[in-house]
Amino acid sequence: MARKHMVSNPKMVLFTVMSVALAVAVIVLMMGLMEGYRGEIIKSTVENNPHIIISSKENEDYISLYRTLSSTVWDYPDVQAVSPRLLGKAGAKYKDEVRGVSFVGADPAQEDPLMHVQEDVVEGDYLDLVFKKHSAILGTKLAEELEVKPGDDFYLIRMNRSLKLEVVGLIQTGTGSDESLVYLPLEAAQDLMDQGDVVSQVGVRLGDIYAAPSITDDLNARTSYDVKSWQDQSRDTLELLDTQKAIMYIFYFLVFVIAGFGVANAMIMIVSRRTKEIGILMAMGTTGRSIVQIFLTESVIQAPPAALLGCLMAYIVARLIEAYPIEMPSDIYMVSRMTVTLTQEVFVYAVGFAILVNLAAGVYPAYKASRLDPVAAIATE
Amino acid sequence: MKHRIDEAGVWNNNHIIEIVNLFKVYRGGVDVKALDNINLVIEEGEFLAIVGPSGSGKSTLLNMIGLLDTPTSGKILLKGIDITQISADERARLRNRELGFVFQYHHLLPEFTALENVMMPMLIAGVKKEEARATALQFLEDVGLGDRINSRPNQLSGGQNQRVAVARALANHPSVVIGDELTGNLDTKTSDLIYDLLRKLNKKINQTFILVTHDTELAEKTDRILRIVDGKLVCEMRREGDRFVSTEVCQTAEAE
Repeated sequence: MARKHMVSNPKMVLFTVMSVALAVAVIVLMMGLMEGYRGEIIKSTVENNPHIIISSKENEDYISLYRTLSSTVWDYPDVQAVSPRLLGKAGAKYKDEVRGVSFVGADPAQEDPLMHVQEDVVEGDYLDLVFKKHSAILGTKLAEELEVKPGDDFYLIRMNRSLKLEVVGLIQTGTGSDESLVYLPLEAAQDLMDQGDVVSQVGVRLGDIYAAPSITDDLNARTSYDVKSWQDQSRDTLELLDTQKAIMYIFYFLVFVIAGFGVANAMIMIVSRRTKEIGILMAMGTTGRSIVQIFLTESVIQAPPAALLGCLMAYIVARLIEAYPIEMPSDIYMVSRMTVTLTQEVFVYAVGFAILVNLAAGVYPAYKASRLDPVAAIATE
Repeated sequence: MKHRIDEAGVWNNNHIIEIVNLFKVYRGGVDVKALDNINLVIEEGEFLAIVGPSGSGKSTLLNMIGLLDTPTSGKILLKGIDITQISADERARLRNRELGFVFQYHHLLPEFTALENVMMPMLIAGVKKEEARATALQFLEDVGLGDRINSRPNQLSGGQNQRVAVARALANHPSVVIGDELTGNLDTKTSDLIYDLLRKLNKKINQTFILVTHDTELAEKTDRILRIVDGKLVCEMRREGDRFVSTEVCQTAEAE
């Protein structure tokens, strides 16, 4: 078999390789962005929420035996933090400004290992809350809106109770909660709620986040509390992402179809430019099948360099995105910047798709070539 | 007009090509009869020239014999196989194994060297590379191009390319070699060299040669001359010793 493929016009090859390479690059990047976004969501879920949340029993609003519960949880292996917390909504008032807030009342010594609060505190010190019962840490945006500064006193108002608190620090988590978050000592929160020595939930942090479901199941079986793992909490988001994936696949397909037309176009050009040579090969007894083979090979042979080039481009752009982060509105996307996670899988898919595209795009031109009339083909100049 | 028509269905072993009532009509606004009822028997080992004015149908006939074109009606038997009835693959196989074609222009593949061009039909036939290379080298040597084997067509003169094309046509030791003006681009010396080579092969392995030519000198060196005018075989001459004898009444007076 004349396996030596006909060397094509280098310029033409360059363009078709580029078109496929661009398609590969776009798709690798999109996949990387999706994967990165997914990863970020999981990360932010895991970072910004307890890995396991134990809420009150079905007919109760609060957990009162939280100290016993905490020690039970501590018995599980790989538990890094357990923090009883009292969560609620209240109004914050400073001078004439009033804002709705979500407060978290907890013991800083237990809450910090759970939520790594201190890492996000941009002014002041979270642990100051240990020493001052009537103090609070505010989200940066909330503080801006209230026009309150550290050192100022503001009021938390709930029902007919109000509490005077001193702002001792500001926290910036990078999420939407910066507009409404208030950290205060557990006792202060209990005062505000007026329900006695209770909490609304117990948060748990684990060394291995993927151990959460089994511990959750076990706790649900052993106690009558309502226990949820982080996977349960972010289920909706992850499912949404999966739905989005299907739409993305249609998009990938279209990108490849467009690139495929480019390749097919170039291949048709090559066939028409090579008409005479095809005629000669036929006169020498090359079968139609071999002609098809030659042109398919010619088409497919462009896939690996195209895939390689595309992956390289995607990689470079990914590095640029990492180096120059693009800010995103965190209240819509739940994460504050674009990240690209390029897994090996993505590259394998891209290479596979590129080969498929070239193969599919080569079929029609190759078939046309094999059906040429040798006499007419040889007569073309 | 009386032609040599054999009894139908019986294939004479010596008849390498039999053409029976062959027509080729190009349809269009006006139908053009490129070949008009051609009947012809060519025996194995014949060295034959087809002459005639331009547009007479010589090349069309040659393309038919070379399996490149299909007739409108009639039969062509190559070694007893009716090539108008067989599959495209089988036609391709016959073109590759049984036929060697030298075109009016060399029609070499421009991206390949002389050696690779000559090897090509053998590679298509599935001959091993080393073997094909050795055979190709020998043929290039024979046509006097042993020192230009790695040149590409654009590095060779028209005559040299034509010789490469001859070597390529011979490469697979085909039973029939078809040449369309194969010495048209060659000087007398090279033309003689090619003729001698073809004649040697003709004698040695009884290869059949069918040459369309305008070159009277070359035509007169062959054993049989067929004259085609307006798609019809009008005159046939056979060599007897040193001179040609017309077996038919040649209808046209004009000399070639």
